Amino acid sequence: MVRRRHAAAALSLVAILTLLAGLLYAQSTERAKRLGGGMLCMCNCGQILTACNHVGCTVSSTMLKQLDQRVAVNSSDDLLLQSFVQEYGPKVLASPPAQGFNLLAWIIPGLAFGIGLAVVLVVIHQWRRRFELAPAGGPPISSEALDRARQQADRETED
Amino acid sequence: MDLFGSFSLLLAFLCALYAIGGGIAAILTRRPLLIKSARNAGFAVCVLIWLAMGSLAYLFLSDNFSLSYVVDHSNRTLPAFLKIAAIWSGQEGSLLFWSFILSIYVFSVLFTYRGKHPELMPYVGVVMAGTQLFFLVLNAFVVSPFTVLGAPGAGGALDLVARADGRGLNPLLQYPEMVIHPPMLYSGYTGFTIPFAFALAALLGRYPGEKWIHLTRRWTMIAWCFQSIGVLLGAHWAYAVLGWGGYWAWDPVENASLMPWLTGTAFLHSVMMQEKRGMMRVWNVWLVFATFLLTIFGTTLTRTGLVSSVHAFAQSTIGPWFFGFIGVVLVVCFTAYWQNRDYLRSDNQLDSLASRESSFLFNNLILLVACVAVLSGTLFPVLSEWVQGTQISVGAPFFNKVNLPIGLFLLFLTGVGPLLAWRKTSMESLKRNFGWPVLLGIVAGGAGVALGLRNFYVTICLILCVFVTLTILLEFYRGARVISARTRANLFSSVAQLTMRNTRRYGGYVVHFGIVLIFVGISGSAFNQDKQMDMPPGAQMEIGPYRLVHQTFDTVPAVNYTSERATIAVDRDGQQSIMLYPERRFYPSNEESGTMVAIYSTLKEDLYVVYAGRSPETQVPVIHVYLNPLVKWVWLGGLVVVLGTILALVPNRQPVLALRAVAETAPAGPSPARLPLERPLEREDSHG
Repeated sequence: MVRRRHAAAALSLVAILTLLAGLLYAQSTERAKRLGGGMLCMCNCGQILTACNHVGCTVSSTMLKQLDQRVAVNSSDDLLLQSFVQEYGPKVLASPPAQGFNLLAWIIPGLAFGIGLAVVLVVIHQWRRRFELAPAGGPPISSEALDRARQQADRETED
Repeated sequence: MDLFGSFSLLLAFLCALYAIGGGIAAILTRRPLLIKSARNAGFAVCVLIWLAMGSLAYLFLSDNFSLSYVVDHSNRTLPAFLKIAAIWSGQEGSLLFWSFILSIYVFSVLFTYRGKHPELMPYVGVVMAGTQLFFLVLNAFVVSPFTVLGAPGAGGALDLVARADGRGLNPLLQYPEMVIHPPMLYSGYTGFTIPFAFALAALLGRYPGEKWIHLTRRWTMIAWCFQSIGVLLGAHWAYAVLGWGGYWAWDPVENASLMPWLTGTAFLHSVMMQEKRGMMRVWNVWLVFATFLLTIFGTTLTRTGLVSSVHAFAQSTIGPWFFGFIGVVLVVCFTAYWQNRDYLRSDNQLDSLASRESSFLFNNLILLVACVAVLSGTLFPVLSEWVQGTQISVGAPFFNKVNLPIGLFLLFLTGVGPLLAWRKTSMESLKRNFGWPVLLGIVAGGAGVALGLRNFYVTICLILCVFVTLTILLEFYRGARVISARTRANLFSSVAQLTMRNTRRYGGYVVHFGIVLIFVGISGSAFNQDKQMDMPPGAQMEIGPYRLVHQTFDTVPAVNYTSERATIAVDRDGQQSIMLYPERRFYPSNEESGTMVAIYSTLKEDLYVVYAGRSPETQVPVIHVYLNPLVKWVWLGGLVVVLGTILALVPNRQPVLALRAVAETAPAGPSPARLPLERPLEREDSHG
């Protein structure tokens, strides 16, 4: 009975360890994929490292092996990426790091949006003011008549 | 024939010079004979370019290997249709092809408006001839495709030589789509020359009113349609040939084609403000200028080695020519604007923030921001190297992060904009138009989350796709219901009638629906899966609901190449459905290899199988499989966009049909008081 219990416990332990090993492997593979997705293949094809399928590309296979090895060592993401930067230069990163001069790459779209939005708002404000300042002539018009006219104008200019 | 081609180009160059000189003289003197003479010179330029293009095609098809360009891009065993595609596969031929497509546009414009708009057309002719002249200089003197091979002869002079065979076409280009993708894209790029020419001409000639807008609307839509087809075919080619599992990598060359498309789209929208309300005259002129400049800049990017790209032509020395041309165009545009800016003054007034006008302003803002984001990202590596001295990369992760929110906001405006009335939209109208779409969009998003959707952007995309689709459907339904009530036709026939009465408006809605489908397809990429493994024959792999069994692996000889091909049986949920044949082709003529991906495509997902070569250690075939959800929706969306654009180009149906129907349904004949309200629905869109 005791032997059976021990055997069952050992089997459970083996099963749990296998499961854990599988999970850790899956995590490590996922991590390698995620990190590889943030780097470029250095064969000059301009493709993401994990997506490079360049015919005859030996660079991506070498880099992917290096990545797997470094992921297995389990160093932090930053350290791992830094090791690639030291080896291949900053060009290996698929996005510019958000620091120093490179921060500008991230700022430009937002800045363009901000400036554009400000311009649009100013333009709308000015155009609205012109509309409000436009002199009204003739006899007063009832709101119903104005609505009718507006609806008609809407229909006629609809497109 | 090479001499004939060179001579044609030389003559075309001289005729273009005359078209410019004669055109300017015609503008100054207003002499009808001079106007006609300059126009005829414009025709001659086009015909001579066609002759040059024809002679190059003949040289390719007849395997004339005394020509350096033919040797570099063709070989005897290349199939005839690929020999045609080889014409534009290199720098020299593609520039001549650019001139060729441009000359078709120029000829069409000169022919369509011959004898019309005498105040405008001489200017248009000069601008078009100026653009042609630039490309003819390149074709005839800088990178001529008619350069013959020579070898030092006995007397020191060069003797003509001919090779026995050519080096062949780049394997990546040996794909049927490459026969149509460049012509489509070039038709888009060069087509924007026409609205540019008219805008600059109207500005220089102070041509009254919005007529140039009316004249160029269809030309702009044609160019935009070709550009859309070109961009999508490029994406499909990348998907089917490059074998990396995706269709858009934000490569500089892809970005180059997207940028003028974005500004062109902005122009197609903002131009309506000028047509309807006489607003944004300055903006529209500069938008056209920017679009034209971006087409030139785009081709500069691919040809000068400014940025590295797998799609780009080999580095060459033509960069200064292109930058010089861009500089000249900028100076001309700015001078023309500065000299004639009072002509562009418009009485801009906005009645309400909730109006079609303000939605167009935001639409333009977002499209321009997207363009700036793409442009800055594409050029940032160059800027960084210049400032910091170190090379950095700006790849897909950057562009995806930046452009995703921009794209979603644009999708939102796609739904909102068309339902806002010109001048002002009442609160009641807002509720009526947007109530159900907003509600059902949120319900769809909630259902998605309840079913396990956890990706923020995909959830937002789902909500917006449902919202936009419903707003479009409601627009069709409401309009058709009115017609149905009036004519007693069924709803489907009423939808058809409604669409044909205002093709521009309803074609636009169809285009918007196509954009929705494209977004649905793009959102699928959030759930992509892939697996790669060494698979000797007999090995199996599972991905999603599919089980792949590698059955055989063989070498298949073909006329122009030899391929290593894997035969893979695919079961879906235990039922055998298909066989796939991913292969890798080796082309002995240029000793290069190319991938041929095998794709099993359904509306739900694409099973994308790549034979990635043999494992260096074991020599076992390596199979990389991707499961890409919803990709087909991207291509379907593209098709809908094209069909919508074609629909928008069709002239509106004549008003007589509806008037007769009103007369039939009204017992005492049509009420005179009702007619003014009925007629606008049936009005003929007279814009040329």
